Amino acid sequence: MSMEPGALIETAEELYESAPCGYLSTLPDGTIIRVNQTFLTWIGADRRDLVGQKCFQELLSIGGKIFYDTHFAPLLRMQGFVNEIAFDLICADGRQLPVLANTVQKLDAAGRPMVHRITLFNATDRRRYERELLLARQKAEQATEELRRLNETLEERVAQEVAERLKAEDALRQAQKMEAVGQLTGGIAHDFNNLLTIIVGNIELIQRRLPEGHERLQRATDHAMEATRRAATLTQRLLAFSRRQPLDPKPIDANKLVAGMSELLRRTLGETVVLEAVLAGGLWRTQADPNQLENAIVNLAVNARDAMPSGGKLTIETANARLDEAYVEALAEPVPPGQYVQVSVSDTGTGMDKATMERVFEPFFTTKEAGKGTGLGLSQVYGFVRQSNGHVRIYSELGEGTTIKIYLPRLIGSDEEPVERAARALATVRGSGETILVVEDEPSLRAYAVEALRDLGYRVLEAADGKGALAILEQHPEIELLFTDVVLTGGMNGRALAEEVARRKPGVPVLYTTGYTANAIVHHGRLDPGMHLIGKPFTYAELAAKVRQMLDGST
Amino acid sequence: MSAVLQRHNVKVVGRGEQPMLFAHGYGCDQNMWRFIAPAFEERYKVVLFDHVGHGQSDAAAFDRTRYDSLGAYAEDVLAICRELDLNDVILVGHSVSAMIGVLAAIRQPERFDRLVLIGPSPRYIDDGDYVGGFKQEDIEGLLDFLDSNHLGWSSTMAPVIMGNPNRPQLGEELANSFCRTDPEVAKHFARVTFLSDNRADLPKLATKALILQCSQDVIAPEAVGRYMHQSLPDSEFVLLKATGHCPNLSAPEETIAAMEAFLSDPAPAKAVAW
Repeated sequence: MSMEPGALIETAEELYESAPCGYLSTLPDGTIIRVNQTFLTWIGADRRDLVGQKCFQELLSIGGKIFYDTHFAPLLRMQGFVNEIAFDLICADGRQLPVLANTVQKLDAAGRPMVHRITLFNATDRRRYERELLLARQKAEQATEELRRLNETLEERVAQEVAERLKAEDALRQAQKMEAVGQLTGGIAHDFNNLLTIIVGNIELIQRRLPEGHERLQRATDHAMEATRRAATLTQRLLAFSRRQPLDPKPIDANKLVAGMSELLRRTLGETVVLEAVLAGGLWRTQADPNQLENAIVNLAVNARDAMPSGGKLTIETANARLDEAYVEALAEPVPPGQYVQVSVSDTGTGMDKATMERVFEPFFTTKEAGKGTGLGLSQVYGFVRQSNGHVRIYSELGEGTTIKIYLPRLIGSDEEPVERAARALATVRGSGETILVVEDEPSLRAYAVEALRDLGYRVLEAADGKGALAILEQHPEIELLFTDVVLTGGMNGRALAEEVARRKPGVPVLYTTGYTANAIVHHGRLDPGMHLIGKPFTYAELAAKVRQMLDGST
Repeated sequence: MSAVLQRHNVKVVGRGEQPMLFAHGYGCDQNMWRFIAPAFEERYKVVLFDHVGHGQSDAAAFDRTRYDSLGAYAEDVLAICRELDLNDVILVGHSVSAMIGVLAAIRQPERFDRLVLIGPSPRYIDDGDYVGGFKQEDIEGLLDFLDSNHLGWSSTMAPVIMGNPNRPQLGEELANSFCRTDPEVAKHFARVTFLSDNRADLPKLATKALILQCSQDVIAPEAVGRYMHQSLPDSEFVLLKATGHCPNLSAPEETIAAMEAFLSDPAPAKAVAW
């Protein structure tokens, strides 16, 4: 048996029909004139239905049809061939088969298009791959975009973070500066108070002993006394700023307090400034030292007046306020969030710029011309409010005016009635031989107090420290009042002494005096309830009134 | 060369006085006039150009927002006329540029003598009794297909896929030395073209027009050409034996002959010289 050699070799016809690609020949208008079996198998069509019956472009998807006419045919006509055109064939069963078409245009002898030879490759895998690539690219683009956005916001966030950090550092520096200045001024003020107390005492002594008819000397001592009082006011403000003034907080109805000040404020402001008070209904009570709050309001009013040289309007308002977490977080100093009573003082004056606003609470900072202001008014406000666990806020616009708001914590659950700010006429009241023990480590101060009390008609015993005081107490059970400095040398401070006295001889009232003290008698700058204090420098009259009041058992 | 002429790759050839301005359609560039234009160079001043984003125009001048309607393309045609001071223009527009030519002639009728509209369509999508040749979903399918980049030059897919559209020459070298089209512009142009509806503009055309209608034109079927003929106030309708959408390429002789016949017909508005 032997086979025909030719049987082993595929004929051209067989190669054509079973090639791994589709072959089509069409007329220039697309009419199919020849097609191979591979193509027929792909699309599931019968040769008879195609040859002479259909155009190649009729087998394409709608997009392909349009592309054939708009791109494929023109190009083929112009350049004679077209390669790698992506088409979708519509199969007999409706499926779409992705193909790549390479086409050559055959010309006749006259150069006219005669036939198109189209070779089609099944592009299913390639199309899938392309789709995956496209998808991957889209994903990459999305990722890049997201990364870019992230980077942008990152920069933004870093910038914001840095800005916040810088702001916080700024605020901290400012707070530290205020603290340092406070320490310094507090120390100076304390020493000054002691000196002033001696000066006041001795001027008073001179005045009391001055024989009749020495009018010039009388006037001179009056001037000296007036100057000393002003000096005392200044040191008081320094102490206030340094938050070391002894405060005597009491429940306050700020509305009543403000209303009670109207006469004083009208006199302070003069005729060119209109005063208006806007007092909120249902105002909460607060707890603060009423004298210092009055001082603060007066200081603010004076500043406001000075900011309105040609007149204007000053508005004092009260309101209930809530400082929320966000608000207090933004503050340089620690202020607990919660309910506050707000007292604000607004003017229609010149206002101030940002730089001024930042420094306005610093002691000795003043925008007033030399000699016109001490630069301590707002320092007092700041120190007092901070010491009262409150908060001060300045709002100011150049040329528009300034509002300063004081926030004092709301007082809740106190049975105490708000203090009525009755006129406190300090009538000089004299003693009637009651025995008073004076304890003071500074000899000249002690001498002044002793002298004053004796002059008022008291019997005075004196000691330089706690130990000496207790010894005298043992020998003199008749002592009816202990008058002691808070800070004593010799190992026992005023408070410890008072406790020992209370233990040995209960019922003896204690009157403290101090320039300042941060601890001891004053808890966080406040008097303990039931304790009495007369701040240095005290005047003769103040001492007289306070001692009499205590001995009479009325507070 | 002025910016406008450069932007549109404008070519002026021919020895005649009267300008004949050729406007290519979607999918190609001025190359598609290569079998037609030379026939008129003897008697006319032949002006060829590429729409922005096509051929060797300045693709950077393409602005998606500006070219959001065919009106912008019509403005480009008028800009070329102004720049070259073309008057008494015979505009030959193929496919979508037939409509662009109609719009230009409505805007500045004084510039135009006659219009030759090859395969024109005022609307490609069927609408009630109107037969445009395509269903709404056909065109949506086409646009989706264009968006997914699967249509057309597969070899140009490479730069698109590789994110390197700045190298269109890659695709050109492999497959296409004619009719270069920026893929993005092509997609956008297709959208604007196939979604256009300029039927309401047709009655406004004062210029005499010739409609050259191919047989078996998928893109602009005969019904569309006849609709054009009915709607235009002054038009002639010629049904070519040529099939497909580009008789200027597939049947240039027949196309030229039809144009010659139309142009030799005296314009009614003009004084007859002989």
